[in-house]
Amino acid sequence: MIDQLKYEIEEKPVFCSGHNACPGCGEALAIRYILNTMGSNTIAVIPPSCIAIISGHQPYSSMRIPTYQTTLEASAASATGMKRSLIRQGRGDVNILVIAGDGGTYDIGIQSLSGAAERNEDMVYVCLDNEGYMNTGSQKSGSTPYLASTSSTPGGKPTEKKDIAEIMAAHRVPYVATATIGYPDDLARKVAKARDMKGMRFIVCLTPCLAGWGIPDDAAVRVSRLAVETGFFPLYEVEDGEHYTINRGHTGLPVERYLETQRRFKHLDPDQIATLQGQVEHKWALLQARTKLECEPHPEYLTR
Amino acid sequence: MSMDTSNITVTSGQSCMPPVQEGDTRMLLTGNHAVAYGAMLARPQVVPIYPITPQTPIAEKISDLQLSGEFDVDLMTAESEHSAMCACVTASLTGVRVFTATASQGLLLMHEMLHYAAGARAPIVMAEVNRTLGSPWGFWPDQSDSLSQRDTSWIQYYCESGQESLDTVIQAFKVAEQVNLPAMVVHEAFYISHALEPVVVPSQERVDRYLPPFNPEHRLDPLINESWGAVVNQDMYYRHRKELTESMALVAERSIQADAEYQELFGRSYGIIERYRMDDADLAIVGFGAMCGTSRVAVDALRAAGLQVGLLKIKLFNPFPTEHVRAAIAGIPKLMVIERNVSPGIGGVLAQTLKANLYGMKDAPTVHSYLAGVGGLNVPSRLIEELAKKAMADEPVAESLWQR
Amino acid sequence: MSAPTTEIRTQWTTSFTDELTTGTWRAAIPVHAYKPSPCHVACPVSNGMPGWIKAIGEGAYQQAWLSLVDTNPFPATTGRVCHHPCESECNRTVLEGAVGINGLEHFLGDQALAAGWALPPAGESTGKRVAVVGAGPAGLSCAYHLRRLGYDVTVLESREKPGGLLRYGIPEYRLTEEVVDKEIQRIVDLGVEIRTNAPVADPESLERLRGEYDAVFLAVGAQRAKRLGHLDDAGGPARVIDGLEYLRRSSAGEDLGLGQRVVVIGGGSAAIDVARTARRQGKSVTLMSLETRNIMPAQDEEVFEALEEGVTLVDGAMAASATLTEECLNLECTLVTLDTEAPVGVLRPMPVEGSGFAVEADSVIMAIGQDPDLTAFAAVPAAGGGTIQVDMASGATGLPGVFAGGDVASQYRYVSAAIGAGRRAAWGIAASLGHPSAEVLPHLDLKQAVQKEEINAFYFPPAERTEKERTGAAERLLGFAEVAKAFSVDQAAHESARCMSCGLCVECDNCFVFCPDTAIKKDADRPEHYAILEQYCKGCGLCVAECPRGAVHLEAVAR
Repeated sequence: MIDQLKYEIEEKPVFCSGHNACPGCGEALAIRYILNTMGSNTIAVIPPSCIAIISGHQPYSSMRIPTYQTTLEASAASATGMKRSLIRQGRGDVNILVIAGDGGTYDIGIQSLSGAAERNEDMVYVCLDNEGYMNTGSQKSGSTPYLASTSSTPGGKPTEKKDIAEIMAAHRVPYVATATIGYPDDLARKVAKARDMKGMRFIVCLTPCLAGWGIPDDAAVRVSRLAVETGFFPLYEVEDGEHYTINRGHTGLPVERYLETQRRFKHLDPDQIATLQGQVEHKWALLQARTKLECEPHPEYLTR
Repeated sequence: MSMDTSNITVTSGQSCMPPVQEGDTRMLLTGNHAVAYGAMLARPQVVPIYPITPQTPIAEKISDLQLSGEFDVDLMTAESEHSAMCACVTASLTGVRVFTATASQGLLLMHEMLHYAAGARAPIVMAEVNRTLGSPWGFWPDQSDSLSQRDTSWIQYYCESGQESLDTVIQAFKVAEQVNLPAMVVHEAFYISHALEPVVVPSQERVDRYLPPFNPEHRLDPLINESWGAVVNQDMYYRHRKELTESMALVAERSIQADAEYQELFGRSYGIIERYRMDDADLAIVGFGAMCGTSRVAVDALRAAGLQVGLLKIKLFNPFPTEHVRAAIAGIPKLMVIERNVSPGIGGVLAQTLKANLYGMKDAPTVHSYLAGVGGLNVPSRLIEELAKKAMADEPVAESLWQR
Repeated sequence: MSAPTTEIRTQWTTSFTDELTTGTWRAAIPVHAYKPSPCHVACPVSNGMPGWIKAIGEGAYQQAWLSLVDTNPFPATTGRVCHHPCESECNRTVLEGAVGINGLEHFLGDQALAAGWALPPAGESTGKRVAVVGAGPAGLSCAYHLRRLGYDVTVLESREKPGGLLRYGIPEYRLTEEVVDKEIQRIVDLGVEIRTNAPVADPESLERLRGEYDAVFLAVGAQRAKRLGHLDDAGGPARVIDGLEYLRRSSAGEDLGLGQRVVVIGGGSAAIDVARTARRQGKSVTLMSLETRNIMPAQDEEVFEALEEGVTLVDGAMAASATLTEECLNLECTLVTLDTEAPVGVLRPMPVEGSGFAVEADSVIMAIGQDPDLTAFAAVPAAGGGTIQVDMASGATGLPGVFAGGDVASQYRYVSAAIGAGRRAAWGIAASLGHPSAEVLPHLDLKQAVQKEEINAFYFPPAERTEKERTGAAERLLGFAEVAKAFSVDQAAHESARCMSCGLCVECDNCFVFCPDTAIKKDADRPEHYAILEQYCKGCGLCVAECPRGAVHLEAVAR
């Protein structure tokens, strides 16, 4: 039989309707699957971001769990204090979830994130990556792709996107995964897997921003899939920093199919597109090579 | 440490041999170690901390006490003071008592989160060891670090001995948790932090009687399902800030009450301000922190020389206890502030604050402001006596005068 | 727990956004509504394929078949011979190729014959009677639908057996007589009376029927073969015969002794049937068609199979003249182009200068179409081109109480077109007779169907189209055994799963899954399966974009 792609996603009613996300917002969709998978025995930490806007204005929360909005650079540290407090109270079963943007993760938040990762603090940290400071009007971040136009790089970003998944994997945390909204079942599965683990679990979820990327209201899902199918944003998991599993990736679709859907890439000339294609091919080959790396653990080596 | 300590004068508002009650232990402790004991007795459950000179002995002592099993605490070794304070806020909002300590640049790095903690109404207690601010680098006692954080909505207590710091940590929790505001217990580098003194460490049983377990009505808990920190409109922000201010206004009375209860249980009391030989004074020296101990010696000497001089110690600096200070100096024509800090462009922070709080007072005294000991320079009693005589003779000027 | 330490109240966030209304933001709202699939619209019988194909996928074969015969009582027949315009319009053509709808119909039709399933019962009697003239596909289809609508139906057939073209015009290797018999018997079992050897040969007979019955449906087909006079003149009846007669006599087992070299003239299915039948009789066959292969009316696979069987195709050509010699008929031929200015349905060949060539033939079979014989129906107003003038929607003619359909009333000469015309006429007749629940069937336009752009190809992973298995050419030439085999159960399952169910919600939940506002609720009590929570829906259209099959669309709302 042919796989007709019927999504089987178990949801708990945590994320509420009536929130402030733009119509068609990819981030709202991501939040839905993250919260509804994490369940109600969860406290969320949210730094400034569209997520903070979506989470509601006092006295209304869009999240039927306690949330704490922290400062932009402080998510992982804030989550740390929370979890340790709960453990001291015998409530270590409460999940601590960070939902942060890419600015709060790749850039200003990377110190506290790295510290928490080094200490293997017990949290699920999800970075909703829309590749820029979209909430403040689409400035570039460390996550903005090479050559993408933003309000602070109107001629195209001159440097490459940081590889946050690799940075996190290098901390040898128990779980690192990439996900995107075009595959909500994959996202939910990864969140559930992370939820049921211990220590620092990190998921970076690509969430197209309609205004910042210049795409129509109904295109976030389609564009996010093109990111995967063109190899721009492969979906994979890394366990204990070294065990790689690719879930979905480059299907051979040219990267131009992804770029042409978005205003932020409209200025690219054929040479630049070729350069991006080359980068994608190289990174895809590297990722595949990582899945094939095998090394017998040293007998004295202790994993977490 | 290359600091010349031979000239340091160590005094205390109380006897050098404080009274001991049943169950108490008398120990020879540095000011920082005394703070660590005070913290332990208050039973905080989470201590996020990041090391910085001269705070480190506090962190080290807590680590030792934890390792020995005396102090049952989650000691979180943060990767920065900023993160330490972030963790303090959330641990507190999640429902446990939280303690931390820092100094100087560390406090400045926390700055953003100090505002955040107060806004979040997290009753964190933090020991702050006064140290000079860069640049250039220095490691010397100077109150500019904590005073620069005056506007972060933290309660600030300034202590002049290890014993006072220990006792104040315990009292600070009592007050902070009543008004839902964080509190800083401040003492100066080396003069207090590293100076050994006999300190009475009270019994845990009596501290437990004094300080009930922390049980906030609101907290981050899935069983309660309330959230903190969401965006507010102008009206909501106004209400939040007004409530915070109203809570701050309760601090002086709650501190007096907490101190009185402490006196009852432990036999030691400090007040939010202290009047020393102020009767019939023609001049009152006004100071805070370690300067007060030396000033007492100077006052005794001046009185002995027939000069009517007293000392007003400001322990609770923020919120500034205006009415209490006004009452304490009523009828005294002249005040002399001597302080170990400077806010260039403003002058001595205590002097300026004092002047502002005397404005509009009937028959308000004149105020002489001296910047002595900035950068950690020693201020011997002799200098204080000289300055007192100078102040009694001179007409006051608007600015703070540099003195050494 | 002890009493709270706190004395000062602080204000925490304690309410939830689902008290709020974000529906006021929207400029459009999604609507779940059935939209016809292009196969459905293209189907001459207006068959709702997605529904019964889905049922095949679920293994509910009888339910699927009952859905199929709701419009078409001849699935085993059309599953074999339909020209399947449904597949031409199938949205899956933009992927790996159309769904094998015809093969699935063939499969279901055969399942029904093997299991002996009965057609849906006759409707409650209206007490009215209708006469149907002609027991071909149009007449029997009309009779079937009339019966289900509650009419007593008498079918008058001039020949000895019912079936018309199905029986007499299509060779056994494409459609067996057994299939035709069984599918007709089911209609008879429904209570339709078929009188054979009962021609309506003159205007008086028609008048009599008009008097005896409440309505009359004329479906006598087109029996009068078109001829090319210059070939008749040159060859005479011994060497130039007409295709339908040839097929009828061949199917009766008669050897017409045509000689070895046979030239078949024509480009439709009938011409191919003739050519292939002649090959089975061992003849050397040349098929000459005015149309080039790409525009021949015959189905492409028929042409392909004919070529496999050794038929020589001379397309885009005509026999301009002929000369009879002692040995044979010499055809003087020329290549032609077709006048693009000619009216629709009219072929106007224009010889290509200097392209002349000669073809020798022992005999020529003309299969260039038939005209109806309207001798008995002179009272019924005719259309140009020798057919009866009808209203396409209802089949009504210009003569009150008389309806017509099929080849007698149309140049669109396909079996399924005839079945469709019979169905439309049945409803037209019922409507004219004041049936309480029948009305003239609406015309569907392809513009109303789910468009290719509405299909979200992501949800349809590549899956190769299943072709019917066919016996090899050499084996085929040994006789008249059926060429195409019905799908196996596995093949039917595969092919049904390829159907994208355009416009028909299959409750995949994508609209629910991809709503960022959780503004779509599953609701089993609603026929459309989902409810839009108007309080929240911001009208982004993600549900529409992610609906794989165009079963939900956006409608603008006034702001």
